[in-house]
Amino acid sequence: MKKPELLLIDDEPMVGQRLKGGLEKLGCAVEICEDPARALDLIRKKNFDIVITDVMMPEISGMQVLEAARTASTQTRVIIITGFATANLAREAMEKGAYDMIAKPFKPADLRKLVVKAAVEMGYSDIKEY
Amino acid sequence: MPFHIRDKTARMAAPDDKDLLDRPIFSFRLQIILGFFTFFILSVLITISAMITINKIEKRIATVQTWDRFLFNIEQARRWEKNFFLYGTNLKDALESTGAALEILNENINSLDSSDYSWQKEEIIRHLDRYHIELNRLSQLVESNRSQPAFQNEIEANLRQFGAQMVEEAAEMAAREYEMVSRWLHLLQKVPAYFLVFLFFLMIYMTRFLSIRFMKPLKYLVNQTRRIARGDLTPLRPVRKFRDEFTTVEVAINRMLKELENRQKSLIDSHKLRAVGILTAGVAHELNNPLNNIMLTAHTLMEEFTDIDDDEKLDMVKDIIGETDRSRSIVHNLLDFTRESKSVMEPLNLGRLAEETTKLAVNQAKVRGVPIHIQIERHLPDIIGDRHQLKQVFLNLVLNALDAVGSDGKIHVRVESRKPNLVIAQVEDNGSGIPADVLPHIFDPFFTTKPVGKGTGLGLSVSHGIIAKHGGRISVESAPGRTIFTVTLPYYPTARGNEEKPGSSEEPPH
Repeated sequence: MKKPELLLIDDEPMVGQRLKGGLEKLGCAVEICEDPARALDLIRKKNFDIVITDVMMPEISGMQVLEAARTASTQTRVIIITGFATANLAREAMEKGAYDMIAKPFKPADLRKLVVKAAVEMGYSDIKEY
Repeated sequence: MPFHIRDKTARMAAPDDKDLLDRPIFSFRLQIILGFFTFFILSVLITISAMITINKIEKRIATVQTWDRFLFNIEQARRWEKNFFLYGTNLKDALESTGAALEILNENINSLDSSDYSWQKEEIIRHLDRYHIELNRLSQLVESNRSQPAFQNEIEANLRQFGAQMVEEAAEMAAREYEMVSRWLHLLQKVPAYFLVFLFFLMIYMTRFLSIRFMKPLKYLVNQTRRIARGDLTPLRPVRKFRDEFTTVEVAINRMLKELENRQKSLIDSHKLRAVGILTAGVAHELNNPLNNIMLTAHTLMEEFTDIDDDEKLDMVKDIIGETDRSRSIVHNLLDFTRESKSVMEPLNLGRLAEETTKLAVNQAKVRGVPIHIQIERHLPDIIGDRHQLKQVFLNLVLNALDAVGSDGKIHVRVESRKPNLVIAQVEDNGSGIPADVLPHIFDPFFTTKPVGKGTGLGLSVSHGIIAKHGGRISVESAPGRTIFTVTLPYYPTARGNEEKPGSSEEPPH
């Protein structure tokens, strides 16, 4: 059974560290990335099913990651996580084709629910919250 | 209540006024009064001496008249005497005239005493006496009707001798007195002319002296107002050794400076609150990161509590504590900036201060996606300053730079020392630059190019005021793509802690 490919980008190392295990338990193949520049490279090389990205990062913003992911594949679901959730940012993200946005601080279960929802929509039926 | 406030400012102004008021009074009023008093005394002296001179002349004229009358009577007597010897008549008349002459002399003996030639007067009196005696002897001789030609001849010779001497001497006296009178008159003619010339020069001197006395403090005040206009609010110091009407103005200016300083302080405070408002967005984001970490870690701990070993649990708890600390320092940093604080001048490392301040704005910069590079010289000498106010200046410059740049913006913060004793801090951005027609006004109060509600137009003017208060300068050069604000502050070699470790150089904080 093919696992949904998931990329998580946040310059805060603890975010990836804490979320990785839970997301893998859902049945995803999870890749963690703290450097958005490296993330852009990864996105260009490989089609991820789901990309979870922070917005405010040094040098490269989550919006650029969103654009890159949507350019690489329109199928990719991009979930934005941000500590600076404003209406403007939400509008911009949605216009650029983000799947959803979740404001920091959030519970891991909330993100997992979103990931499950996205994966199910993409046809990965055996993904579910444990 | 207003009375209370006035009372308070008066008391507050007192220590500064003390130096100004602790001088002896030498007011312009007094100076003008003294000037006119000098004129008056001089005029009185001149008038009195003129009156004395005129009085003296009057007396001399009286003396001359006395001598004239005396001379007239003597000459009359001599004519009668001559008549007697020629025709044997008029001897009585001669005696009478001599008597009259004697009477005149005796009557005026006191006024004649003032004469400088008393010995001559006595000589005349002696000769007159002898003449009178000889005449009496002649008269007795004639009355006795005895013809004694030899005796008469002797009397005649004596009469001629004493008469001639007396007339000559009296005439000389009269002439001398007359000459004296004309000399005095001559003097009296000259004195007013001299006085006028003297008065003229005295007036020129007084005018010059007074105008210089007026102009000097005026010039000083004009220069002081220029200094104040540049934002230096240090009170005026006494420059003259005495107090005058200008002191009132100086005291008033010092009071005004005190007020201005109070106003500026409240302006600084209100502007600080605005800056805090701008920062809050960035701080919210900054704070959400550790909060998120805490949330994720706590949830993970809860979800996997039975699956993980104690070491891992301990690590997670430590992470939670660490992130809580991080949150606390973020809040502390903002509060430290917001805190109402007394103005304390202390030795400061401007580099570290700039670094701390820039970090306050880094989150705001992150929100905008603008990198801030900090470059700080090692071993910067300490400057003396107010930590909170200088922080406000840097924050304002950095926030302005953030406003000025576009999406590909970059901001450089540099702090370095310059010879001979300056520390300069620069905030450079690559925004569109400040138009040349706007550039001269950017430090003016209430000048803003930002849309209504975005800027108060006070930031740079407040910064300018703060830097001026520190004895420094803030300047700007701008071209499209490169705008540099430069803060120049002096340091004093006595400031300790020059070896203190400065912030690391070339470190982009993120």
